[in-house]
Amino acid sequence: MTPQKSRTELDLSSQTLVLDNGAYHIKAGFSSDHPTYKECRTFPNCIARTRDKEILVGSELAQCNDYGDIDFRRPVEKGYIVDWEGERAIWSRELEKGEIKCNPKETNLILTEAPNGPQALQTHSDQMIFEEFEFASAYRCIAPTLNAYNDTRSLFGDPQAPSLEALPAEVLLLVDTGYSHTTVTPLFHGRPAHNAIRRLNIAGKQISNLLSELISLRHFNVRDEPYIVDEIKEDACFVSTDFTHDIEACWSGNSNRKDLDRSVVVDYVLPDYTNTYRGFVRPHDSSRAAELRRLGLSTLDQPKEDFFPLGNERFGPPELLFNPSDVGLSCEGVPGMIMQSLSTLPEALRPGLLANIMVVGGCSLLPGFVERLDMEVRKRVNSDFVVRVRRAEDPVRSTWLGGARLASNRSLLRQHVVTKQQYEENGAPWTARQFAGKRGR
Amino acid sequence: MRVNGGERVLVGEGERVEQSLELFKLRRGELGTADPFTCSRAFLLELSINKTIKTAIMATGPLRFRTPHIEELPTAQSRQSAGFAWVPVSGAQDDPAKNWGTTNRKRQRQSTGGQTDQQKEAVSARQQREVERRIKDLNSDNSKETVEIPKKPGQQPSGGAFKIGKTTGTKKIMSSGKGLQHHLEDEQAEIDRTGRREGEVDAPAPNAQRASKTPLHRRKPREDSSASNSPAPAVSSMPPPAIPRGMSMDTAAELVQLDDSDEDGENQLPGLPSAAEMEALLNAAPLTYAQARAASPPPGLPPPRRFCETCGYWGRARCLKCGAMTCSVVCKDEHDQSKCLKMYA
Repeated sequence: MTPQKSRTELDLSSQTLVLDNGAYHIKAGFSSDHPTYKECRTFPNCIARTRDKEILVGSELAQCNDYGDIDFRRPVEKGYIVDWEGERAIWSRELEKGEIKCNPKETNLILTEAPNGPQALQTHSDQMIFEEFEFASAYRCIAPTLNAYNDTRSLFGDPQAPSLEALPAEVLLLVDTGYSHTTVTPLFHGRPAHNAIRRLNIAGKQISNLLSELISLRHFNVRDEPYIVDEIKEDACFVSTDFTHDIEACWSGNSNRKDLDRSVVVDYVLPDYTNTYRGFVRPHDSSRAAELRRLGLSTLDQPKEDFFPLGNERFGPPELLFNPSDVGLSCEGVPGMIMQSLSTLPEALRPGLLANIMVVGGCSLLPGFVERLDMEVRKRVNSDFVVRVRRAEDPVRSTWLGGARLASNRSLLRQHVVTKQQYEENGAPWTARQFAGKRGR
Repeated sequence: MRVNGGERVLVGEGERVEQSLELFKLRRGELGTADPFTCSRAFLLELSINKTIKTAIMATGPLRFRTPHIEELPTAQSRQSAGFAWVPVSGAQDDPAKNWGTTNRKRQRQSTGGQTDQQKEAVSARQQREVERRIKDLNSDNSKETVEIPKKPGQQPSGGAFKIGKTTGTKKIMSSGKGLQHHLEDEQAEIDRTGRREGEVDAPAPNAQRASKTPLHRRKPREDSSASNSPAPAVSSMPPPAIPRGMSMDTAAELVQLDDSDEDGENQLPGLPSAAEMEALLNAAPLTYAQARAASPPPGLPPPRRFCETCGYWGRARCLKCGAMTCSVVCKDEHDQSKCLKMYA
């Protein structure tokens, strides 16, 4: 009883830093009374070494002009912070002079992590937060739970809630496809049903790697340029809703090159860092002159540009999310994972979850992802179930916004956080249990 | 047959050779093995019985000893000999004339009574290695060497201490070079040892099913055992704490109420779980990393689809040497020139 009492008496500091620690980007910002996406700063979660041996930490990467031949060090592996040395360097740089300048000793922290992590890593995080950075108080949770605090009612087109407070959604099935992995989490009033969480290790990174392998084998060696491949993925890749049709459209025929379908095949022009700093897409030009130019054999005095056609490389790698068996992984794809997750829950809860599927995470920005997921889930359930799949407005920052909304509600926040003093009194295991939601101990 | 020296052994045409040999050995025993001459004869006869009888007669020429003269006496059963002998073979044998001279390994595998288990293992192990290599490539971070963290130019008074960590705990964390795989294995070892995870008070059953290390394609389907994924029953020791937000209690009650009001219909959904059951569900301990991964698809589905290595279209033909799929002759040529394993292996 005593811990409960002292918690409601806590006077939390007024500033809360919400830090969504992703494998690719960190989304961070301070929460306010009515948080919006504008307050969220996004910067890369990596330490990079450029071609000129210059080392850039975190948001310094934006200063780099030449992304060729750049080497990355990412402290987050598969969603968990493993390399704390690197992570500390990135955080301290941002806290001191970067986008989120503040004094940790007077700030509350909301930190996200991936579900089902090793217990040891969770305790490491707690130790680092309280002993190294010395935040005034902290709440460490799994990333999907924060999304429940978003305005899901307007997302799904439901009538508005009676009170205006940011209360968590009652029922939500969250699909989070980030950079390193994809998870499916059923949430009830913002609390996850742990037995039903499933993860798949296919997401942005694997798609980019497969894309880079395909391009390197067929057209142009881009294996050493992951940044450029990420750009190609963002510009040109999509999820196909009719895979058979699209793959036929890209086939060049047995030996006679019939005209390729322009709607699917495009040309991608690489940047040359003197005129253009970013690549772009343009419609495919299958004339002979273009072919010669591509191979560099053209005699015309035109600025030399590197470009190559992209056909089934556009939708082949993203197909992995739905069919990991294409590359040999014997797991089910995202729709299958949703069904697996639902099968562990009581039957009565399933219709509610199916009607409230929310998609967040960078990979969901791929065109066609939501439609394809909707189609696949419908195929797998009875036709009398209502299936609604919606993507958050800004999938990359949606988790951050949820955290900011949670933080703006002070009474809610007070129930969740653990202060530094409590941490020092009760120790790390107690803190871990608090964060896992086992209250009343 | 007649052996010089008197002993005669009749070998009928259809008779098994071993039987005759046995018989002869018996006879030889009577003669006694001390006599070298007899021995040599015996040896020669053994030799001849193993080959066809005709060659035995032929083989008498170049030997040094005075070779026995063997002639075949006609018996009641003697016929035109076919020049071969039937020998017993183990295992089913198809008509060898069917696949003579075939270099098609697939046909060979099918015809010679199926592959042995060992061979099947070898093939699938090679494929599995290929697949694993591919997946490892996909998961790679593309980092060539570790990028060092830049050293701050001596801003802090106690430069060294700040760098490494403020307390012993943090020092240890930051200087440990453990990767994620290490942590996962450590946790698995911990669970195997003590049966519970660090930080959990109520332990699941100590013989909980270990996260299996067999590759996914070989895993047998797991039955639902009580010691598998949900330690929820163990939660009963913990009293369900008060639900923090007042709203949820109302809505939960509402949901339950809704169900009570339409009890007459028989085709209603089964009742929503009560508040206590929901608490149990939500308070269950989180799964370990291995338990939470998506399981393999049900076995009834079509096999995984394969694509052409060269162009990405559907794969239609498999390369005999390395097993890679291509779609057409053009792509196959390309494959043979550069990507086929025979270039490297």
